[in-house]
Amino acid sequence: MKKGGIPKFVIYALLIACCSIPLFFKIPIPNKPSDPSVDFYKTLSALKEGDVVLLGSDWTGSTRGESKGHMKAILRTLMRKNVKFVIWSSADPQSPRAALDVIAEVNAERVANKEEKFQRWTQWVSAGFYPNADVAINAVAQDVRTAFGSRRENDTNGVQQQIFKSPVMQKIKSVTDFDLVIDVTASKTTDFHVQFISAKNVPLMFAVTGVMVPETQVFYNSNQIKGFIGGLKGVFDMEQMMEKGINVKDANGKIAVASDKISGEIAPLPGVSVGQGTKYYPTLHVALLLMIIMIGIGNYEMISARKRQKGNG
Amino acid sequence: MNDTIWARNPQGDLKMFIGGGLILGIVLFFGVMQTPIQARRPLVWLVTFLSGGFMVAYTYWPKPINFDAKTELPKNGVETVGSFLQQSFGVVSSFVQIIAAFLLGLGIFSLLRIHLMNIARQKKDWVFSVILLVSMLSMIIFGYWDFMIRQGEKAVDFDDPQFWRMPNMVRDFLFDGLLQQMDAAMFSIIAFFILSAAYRAFRARSVEATILLGTALLVILSLMGVVAGAWDDKVAALAGDGKTGSADFIMNFKITEVAGWLKNTFQTPAITGIKFGIGLGTISMALRIWLGLEKGGKA
Repeated sequence: MKKGGIPKFVIYALLIACCSIPLFFKIPIPNKPSDPSVDFYKTLSALKEGDVVLLGSDWTGSTRGESKGHMKAILRTLMRKNVKFVIWSSADPQSPRAALDVIAEVNAERVANKEEKFQRWTQWVSAGFYPNADVAINAVAQDVRTAFGSRRENDTNGVQQQIFKSPVMQKIKSVTDFDLVIDVTASKTTDFHVQFISAKNVPLMFAVTGVMVPETQVFYNSNQIKGFIGGLKGVFDMEQMMEKGINVKDANGKIAVASDKISGEIAPLPGVSVGQGTKYYPTLHVALLLMIIMIGIGNYEMISARKRQKGNG
Repeated sequence: MNDTIWARNPQGDLKMFIGGGLILGIVLFFGVMQTPIQARRPLVWLVTFLSGGFMVAYTYWPKPINFDAKTELPKNGVETVGSFLQQSFGVVSSFVQIIAAFLLGLGIFSLLRIHLMNIARQKKDWVFSVILLVSMLSMIIFGYWDFMIRQGEKAVDFDDPQFWRMPNMVRDFLFDGLLQQMDAAMFSIIAFFILSAAYRAFRARSVEATILLGTALLVILSLMGVVAGAWDDKVAALAGDGKTGSADFIMNFKITEVAGWLKNTFQTPAITGIKFGIGLGTISMALRIWLGLEKGGKA
């Protein structure tokens, strides 16, 4: 088939222009969070002070547009609720560093906001990276004390100790002792988590990239996971729910973020909640709109060409 | 006390375990090297069969619940085997992870061999080989240097960049400044291909393609808050606030409802079916490898 009329460089230039321009303006966008996002936030909100979360970080710079936003939103929520967490990775050797950098960023944000820094060892620990995701996740599901047993961290006195001596891990004897397992991922670790960890009846949730949403929806529909946030929309959903709560009326009696998944309301989470989701969501809008326009033009050209051929024939 | 050898803490007798492991590794290495070529394939198959057999046994053999091997004795043969499998699993998993980690070493060795040869023989584009090796060595050196500084000075808060020294800054520049940015840049290039492909290839050439196009457009529109909000408000206004059957029917045409219906009714069963097929294929492939039926598995 003959190639379309618009040259590639024009399409590319249009994309660059359309994606860059919204970054310079603050554009408020109405939003209705998706059901899986609401369930995700509802489960996070139900955590109590002192609960312990196993937080998988299985993403790298390539998907940071989505995954970093997920990670930040989750960390902000956990830290504000004083929920302890254990970070670990099994998908990519870069992942632990990426996660540690985000924790440092959120901590810096807390310090700037006159909140207390979330302390390593007493409030969170890192169990590091484990090669071979399926075996690693299975090992954690079967016997977390053996799987993480050899990992060490500096305690508050600077002495290296096994992470199980940390206050974070005090009550952890098996994976079922975690109050929640979350995996921020851009890879197949979702399948292994469902296969091995969900089978132990531990509450499980995912933060996945946009392209992974359809397959993650399967686990959500079958109730194997409590909820999930997907892609940039997921980041925006989280930031909106943290900032404005769910079903909370403002001074004019209007509800900013409404959901019929919640019978009552969930109050906003005080502190800095808005971030890259709110910043990039207008860009996503424009990019999707541009895609629809390009599909329309392409189809119009095809129909015109067919009509011309018929006319000539 | 009913500890298997696997349940012992290697850190208690670290030197003995390292020495023993080293000697055993050397013996195994030379043993395999001396094995006739005809016997190597059956040997590989035997190891594969035993490893696979362990995982099958672990999955299907009944295991005692709430059994403490340190204070209890198994009641019968079934419990003895179940307890052994339970205690051994962590160590077998560690074996697999250690072997996987060795692949990293093998990869580094292979990279060094190929690119050092390229440089030595000044093959075409040998300059890129120099860049690759320099990048790899810089990341290794500054990565470990940064790690050693962080471990050595425990009182310093290295989350705060004002306490960083040269190696910490270089590590940050290499990892966050270069690697992460290049990763993101490579991935974002996909957007250009997607847009170009949407224009050139996403066309309603047949009935099936038109259905696909229509559903894709609906799902895309449902992701756009502005469109979804306006559409849903319009539908709600059309339905009015009456609790009649027709109002309920009209509410089904909210774009979020339509997109949800498409996802739950068509997408989820389709993906489940595909995954089921992949699962069956994986089982048959695993059985072929495990039983040595796959070419190359057994002589």
